[in-house]
Amino acid sequence: MRDRHLKYLLMMPAFLLVTATVIYPLGYAGIISFMDWRLSRSRVPTDFVFLDNFWRAFTDDPSFLNSLGVTITFVAGSAGGAVVFGLLIALLLARRGRTYSVARTVLVLPFAMSPALQGTSFRFFLNPEFGIFDAVLDALFPFLAHVDWLGSSGWAMTWLILTDMWHWGPFLSLMLIGGLLSIPRDTLEAARVDGASAWTSFWTVVLPQLMPVLAIAFVLKTVFSFKMFDYVYLLTGGGPGESTSTMTYYAFRMGFTAYDMGYASAIAFVLALLLVGVSAVYFRLLFPKGAAG
Amino acid sequence: MAVSPRRRGHILFCLRGIAIAVLLAVLLGPIAWIFLTSIKPLSEVYTMSLWFEPTLDNFRAIFERPFYVGDRLLNSIAISGFTVLIGVPVALAAAYSFSRFAMRFKKTLFLGVLATQFVPPIVVVLPFFLMFRQLHLLDTWTGMVWINLSIVLPFAIWMLKGFIDTIPVEMEEAAMTDGATRLRVIRDIVLPVTIPGVFVAGIFCFIFSWNDFLYALILTRKEAVTLPVTLSTFYTEEGDRWELMAATGTFILLPMFAISYFVQRHFVQGATQGSDR
Repeated sequence: MRDRHLKYLLMMPAFLLVTATVIYPLGYAGIISFMDWRLSRSRVPTDFVFLDNFWRAFTDDPSFLNSLGVTITFVAGSAGGAVVFGLLIALLLARRGRTYSVARTVLVLPFAMSPALQGTSFRFFLNPEFGIFDAVLDALFPFLAHVDWLGSSGWAMTWLILTDMWHWGPFLSLMLIGGLLSIPRDTLEAARVDGASAWTSFWTVVLPQLMPVLAIAFVLKTVFSFKMFDYVYLLTGGGPGESTSTMTYYAFRMGFTAYDMGYASAIAFVLALLLVGVSAVYFRLLFPKGAAG
Repeated sequence: MAVSPRRRGHILFCLRGIAIAVLLAVLLGPIAWIFLTSIKPLSEVYTMSLWFEPTLDNFRAIFERPFYVGDRLLNSIAISGFTVLIGVPVALAAAYSFSRFAMRFKKTLFLGVLATQFVPPIVVVLPFFLMFRQLHLLDTWTGMVWINLSIVLPFAIWMLKGFIDTIPVEMEEAAMTDGATRLRVIRDIVLPVTIPGVFVAGIFCFIFSWNDFLYALILTRKEAVTLPVTLSTFYTEEGDRWELMAATGTFILLPMFAISYFVQRHFVQGATQGSDR
């Protein structure tokens, strides 16, 4: 068979599957977001309402506007936090030797752990009566002894972010360790010979060299933070009140407890557009010459 | 400072050791606590005790009525397994094509594949719910494999293309000038060297679909429920059955332990290959 045909033939199954699993549903969701469709009242969409769902979200729904703010807080906190945590781990463990390679094996575990399991267990660990996290924190910081971790909005958001950092930080650190170990030793030694302290050589040699990997880690984590659902559902349930109700969670509730398919799709679409917007800005900053390919 | 360099090195060494110990405790502690809870007798579950008579009661309980974790385990294995078995070969074919052939719109197509990773699952799951309702695919393996492919496939294409890109083309070209057909080249030369990459991609895909929660939560009810969704069924009327969650969690974790070893190796191989030159 000729390459001319073969190259398309090899591509075809993937092309069809991606179309069927992503492109088609995406288009479908786009159409539904212009419809009035409450599943509790009708099996089929009732009305074409054009932008009404979107209009309602931005002008007539405080819960939606709240979820927008919650999402931005969570994304900023967890993306920044996970990258910094990852960097700290990487600086600690980017060394040669058996001990270090064993320690690095552990780094995969939090990432490989099911977020659903992590959410349920962390919920128990934080229980003020019998939670292990609560017990350890109370012993270390007696002034925090009476905090109901998931019962106050500030702490609930903090733990949502910390839970996510626990999952992602170690994974990102694996990417960063790769970057750190590939910094030529000569460069570091040259800096040391010139009398640079560890602190100076971190800022002047290590960090600049690590920048590309750090940037990719940050973009990757931002995208996944926007998509995060499991922890909200199982750890905080969006609460207390609506203080941890992200857009993903709010769209889920509108779709599957209120059965308002049109409105839920509209919210989900706003989320997708937000994500596209943020990624576009990142890519412009990271690959200024359009070299992303 | 009055501290001698040697002394200073000593202190730094100790600090580093302590930091590593704390890190390991933070990362391993929660996992260990889940295991411990799963073998605790009910009277000890809600205490901090480390000394207790281990029991398998919790494991016995989850396999019985009304939880049937055995069935859920089978669902999880089947859905993740089929997703990998379909997704990886399809992705491999596309990745080879992307890597080796010149094509019109190739860059656009590839960026399109990457862009699908940016689509939040909640956007896709709403239409899937409505479609599956009509096609009677709600609560079936077929439906779950279908939707899991949406996470796995673009990722696998991207990963495998990166892998094939690093394999030199010279061998393939030499074989082709000797008169071998493209398909033979793929079978005899490309496939053997891509096995490690395929393996790693397969592992990642397995993790992704094994851990999926949102899709299974919305698209399954009774028959095709997977392990992660089972966790939420332990919030029962008699209260939260934490010990049963821990026992189920152990099953969710087990394959991950085997797998994480290979993943770590993949990452560090990539890293050290660059530096040991």
